[in-house]
Amino acid sequence: MNKSDIFELIVQQTIHVIPELKNHTFQLEDKFKDIGANSLERTEILDLTLDSLSLQVSRVKIFGAKTIGELVEVLYEHAKE
Amino acid sequence: MIPVGIEAMNVFGGIAYLDVESLAKHRKLDIQRFENLMMKEKTVALPYEDPVSFGVNAAKPIIDSLSDEEKNRIELLITGSESGIDFGKSMSTYIHDYLGLNRNCRLFELKNACYSGTAGFQMGINFILSQTSPGAKALVITSDISRFMINEGEEAAAKDWSFAEPSAGAGAIAMLIGESPCLFQADVGACGYYGYEVMDTCRPAPDSEAGDADLSLMSYLDCCEQSFMEYCNRVSNVDYRTTFDYLTFHTPFGGMVKGAHRNMMRKILKADASETETDFNRRVLPGLNYCQRVGNIMGGTVFLSLASTIDNGVFDMAKRIGCFSYGSGCCSEFYSGIVVPGGQQILKDLEINKQLNKRYQLSMDEYEALLSGSGAVKFGTKNAQLNFDLIPGISLSEQGKKRLFLEKINDYHRKYRWI
Repeated sequence: MNKSDIFELIVQQTIHVIPELKNHTFQLEDKFKDIGANSLERTEILDLTLDSLSLQVSRVKIFGAKTIGELVEVLYEHAKE
Repeated sequence: MIPVGIEAMNVFGGIAYLDVESLAKHRKLDIQRFENLMMKEKTVALPYEDPVSFGVNAAKPIIDSLSDEEKNRIELLITGSESGIDFGKSMSTYIHDYLGLNRNCRLFELKNACYSGTAGFQMGINFILSQTSPGAKALVITSDISRFMINEGEEAAAKDWSFAEPSAGAGAIAMLIGESPCLFQADVGACGYYGYEVMDTCRPAPDSEAGDADLSLMSYLDCCEQSFMEYCNRVSNVDYRTTFDYLTFHTPFGGMVKGAHRNMMRKILKADASETETDFNRRVLPGLNYCQRVGNIMGGTVFLSLASTIDNGVFDMAKRIGCFSYGSGCCSEFYSGIVVPGGQQILKDLEINKQLNKRYQLSMDEYEALLSGSGAVKFGTKNAQLNFDLIPGISLSEQGKKRLFLEKINDYHRKYRWI
């Protein structure tokens, strides 16, 4: 899976968790907090994305991504391993 | 192996509370989808209350129900708290004094954030199991308050409290642990503990918290999975769907528990949204009732959830409750126990719900005034005289039962009065 696929997956899960964002134009620079995702929702989006990627990794280890782009990078690195 | 567990248990959820949605609106917090957070009320500790008075008020009904012989067999009194009032002197010493307990008793305090109650519970269980003093009992008391303060010249809205303030409550849980566990019989050895170093949330300075809520949530969820996996390593034939009739969680706020339960159902059982929702309403919601009314009481919250489950659940037959405890920093544990039909009645006799209903609802003005005045009893206060008439709407002598309140601090020594 490439970074673009991971980006689409994150967007898909974000809309699933927050349907109000279905008409939002997502960009790599988008901060989860700024687009309205609270901490519960940010974690749910991460969990669903990890599930979709079948990635078994501790959430604490991949903690820190503030933007969609940062999350794409960290998930891509873990998926490569 | 002898039976061991909780013989009696009580919750003291304070005498005053604040409506959380009103607070969130007042602070102009972004409350889109606020109901998803599942917060309703939070207990507010008044200046003449502290973790000692909370702890005594939780334990008093239990102690009063014991015979002198039973009372004198309390040989271990552990307080679990992250709201300690002294770096050396444990709150158990004060509590021991005001409950009039036998001096042949070990007294000490335990700390690891919201895990402290489980730590005390497990130490009590192991004391009984060791049989080094057959017939002895342990009194384990968790007591935590959140005393947010505004310093002179500051505005509450400017403080970075975000959602910590709406979820933080105050309360104490008292549990008598012994060989006749008519309320909650522990499944001995059925414990999955999981701990490591993480800087999620902490209290590095008295009366204030620091940390990252996102990291704490992630650590909580990781631990929820890992502690349960360890439980399964020690207990055969565990099925997350059928082994536990109820599930209690350490509950910073209800929405977080809903998310944790959903994650476990999805990961372990591959359950769909519909089954997860039904399961949540049946097995988890009864435990959220009291937590939504009192708020996060740190070390005691998992036991507040347990008490709520026992009071609000259906116990027409013996049922197993699975408990998940998490304390930041961190340490977590998944353990379980059985409640029998008679056990529910023991708890119902204490009328915890009725006590919560009797609390005084603070107005926002009264709450803001309390924040400004909190400095009078901040950690390290050497001398103070408390005013029992501070809130005109609260009459301490009309609470329906005798309660302990902090009267004064004299050269750091705390004096309380029964009213």
